[in-house]
Amino acid sequence: MKGETQRKQETDCHRSQSPFFGSEDMKKVYSFLRSMRFGLILLGLIALLSVAGTLIPQGQELGWYAQRYPTLHGALMALGLHDVFHSWYFQTLLVLLALNLTLCSLIRIRRVAAAGAGEREAMLRRANDYTLDERQRERLLARLRAMRCREETFGGATVFSKNGFGRYGSFITHLSILLTLLFGALALYLPRTVDRSCLPGESVRMDDGTTIAVESFRIENGEGRLDFTSEIAVTLPDGRESGLRTIRVNHPLAFGEWKIYQQTYATAGAITVKNLDNGGEDTLTLTDLVFLSLDGKSGLWYQAVYPDLLRDPSGNVTLITNTAGSYPNPVYQVETVSDGVFTPVLAFPGEELQIGELVFRFEKPVEYPGLRIKHTPGIVNILLCAAFLLMTAGLYITFFCPPVLVRVDGEGCVVAGPKPEGMRLEVRACMQEEETT
Amino acid sequence: MNVLFFGALIVYFTAMALQFAAMVFKKEKLGKVAWVLFLLALAAHTAYLVVRGLRAHRIPLSNQFEFSAAFAWGVALLLVILRTRMKAEWLSVIAMPMTFLILSYAALQPKEITDLMPALRSGWFAFHIGSAVISYSAFIVSGCVGLRYILLQKKAREADALKLEQMDYLSYRLVALGVLMLTVTILSGAIWAEQAWSAFWTWDPKEVWALITWIIYVVYLHLRLRGRRRGSAMAWYVVIAVPVVLFTFAGVNTLMSGLHSYG
Repeated sequence: MKGETQRKQETDCHRSQSPFFGSEDMKKVYSFLRSMRFGLILLGLIALLSVAGTLIPQGQELGWYAQRYPTLHGALMALGLHDVFHSWYFQTLLVLLALNLTLCSLIRIRRVAAAGAGEREAMLRRANDYTLDERQRERLLARLRAMRCREETFGGATVFSKNGFGRYGSFITHLSILLTLLFGALALYLPRTVDRSCLPGESVRMDDGTTIAVESFRIENGEGRLDFTSEIAVTLPDGRESGLRTIRVNHPLAFGEWKIYQQTYATAGAITVKNLDNGGEDTLTLTDLVFLSLDGKSGLWYQAVYPDLLRDPSGNVTLITNTAGSYPNPVYQVETVSDGVFTPVLAFPGEELQIGELVFRFEKPVEYPGLRIKHTPGIVNILLCAAFLLMTAGLYITFFCPPVLVRVDGEGCVVAGPKPEGMRLEVRACMQEEETT
Repeated sequence: MNVLFFGALIVYFTAMALQFAAMVFKKEKLGKVAWVLFLLALAAHTAYLVVRGLRAHRIPLSNQFEFSAAFAWGVALLLVILRTRMKAEWLSVIAMPMTFLILSYAALQPKEITDLMPALRSGWFAFHIGSAVISYSAFIVSGCVGLRYILLQKKAREADALKLEQMDYLSYRLVALGVLMLTVTILSGAIWAEQAWSAFWTWDPKEVWALITWIIYVVYLHLRLRGRRRGSAMAWYVVIAVPVVLFTFAGVNTLMSGLHSYG
């Protein structure tokens, strides 16, 4: 009966007066909102929706779902199952979980502090949980001393205690989960992120006037290992400069409120065009389909540059499109246009083509980075990481620093504290070992 | 090097078979032989991982094969720790087959040593994946303890009451260790993801299934600590949760594509 009462007190999150709710019904709602049961229901629903979110491919177009799920796509779209994690009901569950954690944390800290205050006195007044003979008692004392418990004498009894702070582990854990949800939401919604490609020697200008200049980019390091490294320099609107810095995968550059990531890469064709009429010459870096011409009628259609090609014995050519790494044997796919006649041509670096008054010389392709540029208040990331640390510490304290509070006297012992299970098993093991001996 | 791997696999199998025979025929000596063989297999398994790490010049955790091999090693090591420190001989008959099965799964994966891809070259690599190995191992061994509890409970005498309670408590402690380490995995992964992909959380299938696993075991801890649930219900809980861990470990990489598809 006593256990039942205790259980009810600890599981129902409880009957204390709320400043917000007056009527009995509202008290019940308040009590439910802060209960463990409500928290577990929310966690269960989040887990179920998460399963759905991984089984149903997310974020595709309507047509894709219509083709894949001919009979169900209407329901999928109506229920938002094509984008579960951003749906209103999933977000609502997260908000309710945050509410549950807030209410429960407030209750928990009050209860833990109150319980801790009178626990020792209550234990000293309690009758023994276990009766021990002399040898069992000695064995238990040795065990408690081996556990490096603090030892105090009250009257004829010895009180062993350890890890008093352990009672706050659960509070710290719940508080840290709440902070993680809060700062996580800020870290998710506050940053502005854009992806930009930038050729070496050029720069990207952001809305606020920040300039990101790409000095160079390379795919492989000196040993031929894939590396994806860019040399960049950032200049803030107030004139502060980062200097030339290296970024690579896993090593972004943080400067001011900007963070620049080495995200992707691509390879552009480079063609030097010489005008035989006036001797003018220019090297063009080409990333898209483009027609290079003086008169708009005859000239060169640039199509693409490929890393390599394969020729079979009969002379057929297969262009290799694999882009994992640099271009060992680059080949240009172009079309010459002369007098309305289109002629496909494969050209290699160093080769030249003359069409009318223009001479096209194919250069070594240029590799360039795709940058991810994020504007974010750095403090949010710091706060989120602090919440992560707090959560880890909270869990460690909860499960690996359990409070120990044991009174041993001439007749037996009392095991108290918020988590007595482990210590009770220790006591019983000491008693049983003695019996076995 | 393969000799060490397949040698360990064969000796694990032999130890498992002898342990099973020892249980069926109640031959204590056979059980001791099984245990010695198991320790030999673990030594070969450890040597294999060390040699592989030295050859690859990194911690061998970069693909499904290496992770599986380390996972099986984690389960075996936990069994050794529990048998040595807590005299949990009763765990061998369940945990030995689990070690063998996970290592068998590893044997089916490509075993070539490959250069670490740029996305994995990070200080977080060992921390993130190492904590996942410990976490999954703890959950699996917790499931083994749960299964042993269920089997023992069916024919338990009054004298076994303390043993059953100790098993129940051990299972809880292993889940607690698993949850702590899975939390470390998820949080270190989030920080790493922000460094690599610019976002702490991307709802990638592996992330989501790690979260689902975390929720399942957090619910267990709440039911046990606050709801005061004990005994066979919770033993069944940890047993039923094992397939979720195995799906997060192997199923997600096999059946779903995402940012964690590293092979």
